[in-house]
Amino acid sequence: MSVLLRRNSSQLRLLLSSGGQVTRLASTEGSGQPPAPAVAKQEAKKAQSKRQPPPVVPDSEIKKSVFISQSSDVFTNLALEDWLYKNFDFSHHHVLLLWANDPCVVIGRHQNPFTEANVSRLVERGITLARRNSGGGAVYHDLGNLNCTFFSPRERYDRKYNLNIVTRALFREWAIKAEINERDDIVVMNKKISGTAAKLGQPNSYHHCTILASANKLHLGESLVREKANYISRATASVPSPIRNLVDVNRTVNVAQLRSAVGYEYLRTAATTLEDGGSAQTMKQRGFQLINPTEKWFPGIEELRANYSSWDWVIGKTPSFTVEKDLEVKGHGEDMKLKLSVEVEGGLMKEIGLQLPQSEQLVPVVTPLQGKPYNEENLNGILGALKLVNASNVKQAINGTA
Amino acid sequence: MTTKMAINAKDIFRNQHRLIRFIEKSIRLCSNQSLKAAQQQHQQKSSADFQITASVDTQYASGAPEPIKHDKDLGHQFRASQLSVRLAAPEQLHAKPDNDEELGFGRLFTDHMLKIYYHKSLGGWQKPEITPLENLVMHPAAKVLHYAVELFEGMKAYRGVDGKIRIFRPDMNMNRMNLAAQRSGLPTFEGPEFVKCLSRLLSIDSEWVPHTDTASLYIRPTLIGIDPTLGVASSDSALLYTILSPVGSYFKTGSSGAVSLLADPSYVRAWPGGVGNRKMGSNYAPTINVQKEAAARGLQQVLWLYGENHQLTEVGTMNIFMFYVNDQGEQELVTPPLSGLILPGITRDSILRMTRQWGKFKVSEATITMPQVCELLNQGRLLELFGAGTACVVSPVNRINYLGQDLYIPTMEQEKPVHELIRDTLTDIQYGKVDHPWSVVID
Repeated sequence: MSVLLRRNSSQLRLLLSSGGQVTRLASTEGSGQPPAPAVAKQEAKKAQSKRQPPPVVPDSEIKKSVFISQSSDVFTNLALEDWLYKNFDFSHHHVLLLWANDPCVVIGRHQNPFTEANVSRLVERGITLARRNSGGGAVYHDLGNLNCTFFSPRERYDRKYNLNIVTRALFREWAIKAEINERDDIVVMNKKISGTAAKLGQPNSYHHCTILASANKLHLGESLVREKANYISRATASVPSPIRNLVDVNRTVNVAQLRSAVGYEYLRTAATTLEDGGSAQTMKQRGFQLINPTEKWFPGIEELRANYSSWDWVIGKTPSFTVEKDLEVKGHGEDMKLKLSVEVEGGLMKEIGLQLPQSEQLVPVVTPLQGKPYNEENLNGILGALKLVNASNVKQAINGTA
Repeated sequence: MTTKMAINAKDIFRNQHRLIRFIEKSIRLCSNQSLKAAQQQHQQKSSADFQITASVDTQYASGAPEPIKHDKDLGHQFRASQLSVRLAAPEQLHAKPDNDEELGFGRLFTDHMLKIYYHKSLGGWQKPEITPLENLVMHPAAKVLHYAVELFEGMKAYRGVDGKIRIFRPDMNMNRMNLAAQRSGLPTFEGPEFVKCLSRLLSIDSEWVPHTDTASLYIRPTLIGIDPTLGVASSDSALLYTILSPVGSYFKTGSSGAVSLLADPSYVRAWPGGVGNRKMGSNYAPTINVQKEAAARGLQQVLWLYGENHQLTEVGTMNIFMFYVNDQGEQELVTPPLSGLILPGITRDSILRMTRQWGKFKVSEATITMPQVCELLNQGRLLELFGAGTACVVSPVNRINYLGQDLYIPTMEQEKPVHELIRDTLTDIQYGKVDHPWSVVID
């Protein structure tokens, strides 16, 4: 007898759409035995090669919810987003997740945090650094910034729809005229108030965007400044754009009201078309829900959070890069310009070398920091140690090797 | 065990079944047939495992209750299609607690409620509405406040293994509620329509059910008479409403999940001709002080006795079951019959149908008395004693304080306890691990 396994409904949907059999417990006497698990797997594999599109669900059957996260910890919220993406069944239930974080910098999946911010400085100032799962550029979050994640099944992913919900909400609530530019940013009077990123998988997808309501622009500017050096990196680079807070456009804008405005706009609009159904439509939905992203309510979320907050993920996933910084060495009346070059792989300093003048050669530098994690403090530490070197010693070294 | 072991009467009572087993092993018994029979039965039981079937045997039927007969001048009924919804705004939402310790039972409620008014002068049942959870406003002369014109139900919604929400045999609760309404002079209603409204409420507040596979939401439908007149008569106005409460575990038990009971014949919960068989609030108020007395004596629940022969009727707010070896030497599961003193529990009904379908041991509905319990205990024929209710499915009993004496029941000492098997099977159905018509998916 095969037993209905502990599968969530989105995994079940995936199985069903690929033509696999969902084994169910049937009565022992009389009614037909379900096919043996081995047969079911074979069928699933065969059908997967010619995957049928999932059945079209009419708009009237799709109900919407707005989830509001009770947590302001960026790792917890990223874990919640991930949990919903992996475990929830959105086929008849679209969800908008609204969340806000304590001050932090969030970089894209394939970005290099050291080219986006001064990581050591962030640590000093108590600003968390996080890496999200979707691509795109680096952003600064604080409680004056609202994050919106639009969840839906893959086949109903619609970025334009989502962004329009936001612009409509801004107009309906505060008569703010916002536009969507070609990079899918929302701009108000030529300045960016929102950035967008997405994750498309099977069977679920999500699109998230930020909305700058009343973020601390000073901290934002200070946080997204990197250490002065030459970075040779193939990671995704951020495209800096001038930003603006909504509160600069209309003094009454605040995050609480923004949450409500975007939420109601989401609920009153039809599921896949930008049609306003008013309160009659809202009445048919599932409404607002507070979400407490703890293990008790979402088993498995602690593991996800542990991953998001681990060094291996935040720093370790940095694509390999090289950082070069010039350094002047003083001697008897003559100065020498050297270049320190550090190769960083997986967030660890692999090769630390010194480029001598008039030479392409890289002289390896012996330091206990070899193989240790890279950050700006360590880099400046090496530079500081090297500055004590006398120029004549370097000359000797050059002549010696020449 | 040595002969030098200090023998304490309490120890003997507590371990009598162990003693018996030890003696049997080491000494050959030439008489006492029932013990031998019990041992044989025990061996048989351990070889063949119970088969858990998902189908419902037609002989024992699905237990669908008879449709209720409405009063002639009741007026019109409400329909789920008339449901209007007023969703709670973000500011009105209640924060969800971090863990079970803060939860208790019935302390926290969800964000929305279902309300359906009845006014005879307005034609009958009004349109159902779902609103944010809010206080009720009523006239100080409202009948419910003076004559306890109130009845309620208790049911649970479970999040199944596939993430869908299920409720267990709601038609039974609806029928029970209507029967109580008839007795209270309150209007009756269409059960299926109410279940549809309830489903909508549950889908709105579905995030109050954690995504684990052991969590549930307690549903409390309530019907009160709000007619603002002091006459002791049928209420012309009533309010049928439902609130939901996320629950942790109902009992804070002492030893490994079993409860201790106070059995005092001077307290009577129900009597013939009364309403012991209806789930009315007026049955429960008088029990509060008795429960306090039990707690003062270090006991967790009250075992309600009735009559000269001290019949066991109910345990706290649950029905009672006894599993023992009967005079024929066979194992038997027995529960008091629905004589008017017993609340017809839905868990009770489910257990009876399920165990009858198993056919592994005799199942009967018969009166159980305290003298009988004592006698069975002395002979080592009492195997298990447990309560059955929605809150915790089954609640094993390990001690009864009766007439100043402590009786130790070996419920937790059994190798393959029947109450655990019952609990596992019922929860498998409730959580959708087994496909069963008793578990209704609402989503």
